[in-house]
Amino acid sequence: MSTPKQSFMKKYALKATSEYAQANFTLVTSAALTFIFLIAGIDFSQMAVKPVLFSVFIAYAFFTLIQAFITYKVKRDLNQEGEIQRSTRAWGYVQLLSILTGNIFTASFAISLIKKRKTPQYIFAQFMVMAQVFVIAVSALNLFKPYVADTFLTGMFALIAILVFQLIVLFLIVKEKQQPNTPKWKLTVGMMLLLISFTGNLFALALGLFMLLEVFSSNQSTIDKWYNIWEKIAGNMTSMLGMFFIVFIFSISVCSYWTFDYDMAIENNYAAILQSPSLAYPLGTDNFGRDLFSRIIFGARISLIVGVLSTLIPFVIGGILGAISGYYGKRTDNILMRLLDILYAIPGILLAIVIIAAFGSNTVTLIIALSVGSIPTYARTMRANVLMLSNMEYVISARALGSSNLSIIFKQIVPNSMAPMIVKATLTIGGAVIATSSLSYLGLGIEPHIPEWGNILKVGSAYLESHSYLAIYPGLAIIGLVLSFNFLGDGLRDALDPKLD
Amino acid sequence: MKKAILSFLLIFTLILTGCVNTKSDVEEKSSGSGGSGDSSQPEIEILGMSSNEEDMNIVRDQLVKNGFKVKLNVQPDYGSYKAQQDAGNFDVAISSWTTVTGNPDYAVRSLFISGGDYSIMADEDVDALIDEASTQTPEEYAATYKELEQALVFDKAYIAPLYSSYKTQALNKDLLKPDSVRLSKSRSLAWETIDFQDEAKRSTDPLILSQAISTLTSLDPIKGNDGSINMLNSNMYVRLVNLTDDDKVTADGSLSHNFSIAEGNSEYYFLLRDDINFAKITDKEAVDTGEMVGAEDVIFSLDRAKNKDSVPDHRTYSLHEHIEKAEVVTDLSELEKIKQSGSDESVRAALEEGLDNEITELVDNNDAVDNGAGKYQVVKMTTTEPFPQVLNYLAHQSAGIVSKKQVEAINTYDVDKFDVNKDIPYGDQNTITEGAQYDNTLYASGPYILSHKNDYEAVFYKNPGYMTGTENEPKIENINVRFIADVDSSLSALRNGETHILYNVPENKYDTVEKDDKLQLQSMESNAVSYLLFNTEGREVSKSEDLRKAVLYSINQDEIIDYYQGNKIKAVSTVSPLVNTGNELKADADKAKEFLEKYQSGN
Repeated sequence: MSTPKQSFMKKYALKATSEYAQANFTLVTSAALTFIFLIAGIDFSQMAVKPVLFSVFIAYAFFTLIQAFITYKVKRDLNQEGEIQRSTRAWGYVQLLSILTGNIFTASFAISLIKKRKTPQYIFAQFMVMAQVFVIAVSALNLFKPYVADTFLTGMFALIAILVFQLIVLFLIVKEKQQPNTPKWKLTVGMMLLLISFTGNLFALALGLFMLLEVFSSNQSTIDKWYNIWEKIAGNMTSMLGMFFIVFIFSISVCSYWTFDYDMAIENNYAAILQSPSLAYPLGTDNFGRDLFSRIIFGARISLIVGVLSTLIPFVIGGILGAISGYYGKRTDNILMRLLDILYAIPGILLAIVIIAAFGSNTVTLIIALSVGSIPTYARTMRANVLMLSNMEYVISARALGSSNLSIIFKQIVPNSMAPMIVKATLTIGGAVIATSSLSYLGLGIEPHIPEWGNILKVGSAYLESHSYLAIYPGLAIIGLVLSFNFLGDGLRDALDPKLD
Repeated sequence: MKKAILSFLLIFTLILTGCVNTKSDVEEKSSGSGGSGDSSQPEIEILGMSSNEEDMNIVRDQLVKNGFKVKLNVQPDYGSYKAQQDAGNFDVAISSWTTVTGNPDYAVRSLFISGGDYSIMADEDVDALIDEASTQTPEEYAATYKELEQALVFDKAYIAPLYSSYKTQALNKDLLKPDSVRLSKSRSLAWETIDFQDEAKRSTDPLILSQAISTLTSLDPIKGNDGSINMLNSNMYVRLVNLTDDDKVTADGSLSHNFSIAEGNSEYYFLLRDDINFAKITDKEAVDTGEMVGAEDVIFSLDRAKNKDSVPDHRTYSLHEHIEKAEVVTDLSELEKIKQSGSDESVRAALEEGLDNEITELVDNNDAVDNGAGKYQVVKMTTTEPFPQVLNYLAHQSAGIVSKKQVEAINTYDVDKFDVNKDIPYGDQNTITEGAQYDNTLYASGPYILSHKNDYEAVFYKNPGYMTGTENEPKIENINVRFIADVDSSLSALRNGETHILYNVPENKYDTVEKDDKLQLQSMESNAVSYLLFNTEGREVSKSEDLRKAVLYSINQDEIIDYYQGNKIKAVSTVSPLVNTGNELKADADKAKEFLEKYQSGN
């Protein structure tokens, strides 16, 4: 006999269980990828199959079928039992193998399916390992080149060693039992995780920080607060996928210092002009015989640096101006905001073009040009928050206790108004990446031979008909990164917004 | 378990290290010539337009590989490029030159002679060689130009040549007869020969061409020499002579039946046709004025072409500075007495060659002319010095024949006090642009006349009085020239049938054109040459010949041709497409290194 609560759970199980929605999402995206590989794998002009792409299609089709089967089983379990059975979850281990095909969607679904009780540590650790595997796999493609960078072997060995360590961490987290005392290994492991995050694997950084927080923080509520935030992000599959792509791009652009050869990306090689994708040139070569794959990897560096810095600068300047303006009000507010309104009235991209035209085009002016235009929007967001917060009871009480204005602003108000700013920042990084690429595309950004996604796309645009891959791959990279930042921003908003609690 | 993984990894790495080539392994083997990144590397600033980005990148790559540091100065358009060049903000500037007259003198005079229109250098040896070659015949000047190239490029390295280009055009072969569309080395596209596959369309459908620039400098032939009007004015004004497709001077399709050079190479005779009338536009229709293009108009046109002060903004007088005077010849015996240059025959014999009716009388007045009855007009032109290449300049659009009566009626202003806001000169583009200022006063002596234009297109009509009944009579009645700024868009317009011919197809689009079933690509060697121009003031390259030579020998033209998939030609100087001098620039990394070391030790 089932209790009323159980029958209620059973009735709404389909809607209440996140795995079911995830399974459907994964099935659709995986099927779409399979379809793309099917089209790419057939040469329609001669009705013949291309062996490499077609075998990729078969691999993808296999795991998509497994995914369909799992989705069906999950649905049946939920309808009949109200919860997912152990046997169904065991299929996650099979599906985990799909990481070998590079299908991040099925692999990440498998991760969340395997464990019933998913701690954010578990999910982060899984993604950390996946990101590492991807970085190693992509770097290993360099083995097919005529030669590799001098530091390639050292770099690869270090990356593999780190992967082994990460697998151990994952194992420890899976085996971890809930217990009142924080286990001792967390201190060492946390430190080590911080250390390995220099490879750009931000999942390791997050995981390490959380472990150290558990070790050092005596205040359980702080831990709980962070735990809740991580849990919300970790539970949001799209935002985790977005974060995965960002971390992967960031990590590969850091690791490329050791594992990639810069000359491949900028030295002209007239013997290998406009070659189609092959093992030595995984994404083909451009009109100067430069390896498109290396160029995109090195281009990520500039796109990320410019994107992040040109968001960070207006974040800080606009944030401070907004905070001052909102807190002091009256004349200060009027003067500052009217000045910023004037700046706001100038179209951002136009202002950027003017700045670049005046000071010449290089990375620094590019960052400044893109930063200046977005200061007013950050100032406005910050000012609105501060206006709302400065009338709160705790601010009034701090004032009554005699705190100075500065200490009130920076200790009470600013930390509490960060959430909307962070969300805004992640959402605008994408815009900054696009703006960088657009300026380069217009010939106003970075020197044309320097690998930057906009530059690469510009070259590709001239060959859209004859060698379309030259435009498709950098285009996909830009779309992927921007979309990822948007997904991450969405996830962060959900996680940080107190109203949604 | 852990041990197993570790040992596996160890073996894996050992295998890897065994079979992977690292960069330094490879470089040791080829003992790379690339300079190491020490700070003594000289820096070269390359100036160019963003449309030359590919060339800049190739040069940058080649210089870097030969031990230079390179800074790029990329300017978006010609205006800012020119401003940077005038300000001297460059070590080498990517420059290009097209010899539109098809003669070698024009290819070097304004570029390299001291005080030339575009020249930034002064070298006595070069000046002397240019002047010497200008007085020589083609057989003689090849050796002189070879010496000039030796001095200009190899001895002093004032320029470093990159390549010479092909001239290409694509046409819609479903609509047009491919044979009727001419592709000439120097001459602009001749419209009168072009014909539709379906001849019934001649009077019903317009032929649609495209060009990039919509602001027309001037429709007065002497007031412009640029891409906006070259093709238009060439087809609106007839000339004394024309160039064949391979740049030989010919009378075909020109105002002359025949022409002859008198011995001494200073006197030139032209026997004029009587079957070309001026056309004008009345109510947006082309009308035959009934006024014949005669000797008076020819003399007027040549006089104003050579005279710097004949109009404000005279842009082409330097092309015609060798003309001393032009006059009508009425004494038939004069033609018989004078011998042709390099022949025993008289000038008269040359002028009469192939004529239906022999010359019986030479007349002055237009009304008295009647070629059918043997009454002809002859114009004699004298040059300031013996200069056979003057004929090439006469074939240029700036030597187009205008109506004396009409131009004098319109240009009533005083040249010294010309006020751009008040006075409207002949050929002002505002007079043919739709709107309040529209007042078409053009008199066209060529096969077509411009009726009206806007920012989208210009509309031309056939001149009803142009060589009617001959093979040179224009075939198609209406021609529209679309203004499409972007070359990719013009190609799209051609491919979807919006336009019928595209002039100058970019190299990377040859495949696209060739794959399109309805298009045909025509291509021939052109007179366009790209080269690096060294700064002559205030830079290290202007002081050090060794540094310039180091740059010169770093340039590898084979690689450039590879980049353009074979669609470029080697060149040594701007005369390379015109004269076969036998010189060749060979890239030589060792020489480059040697000169670079010489330069560095000289510091």
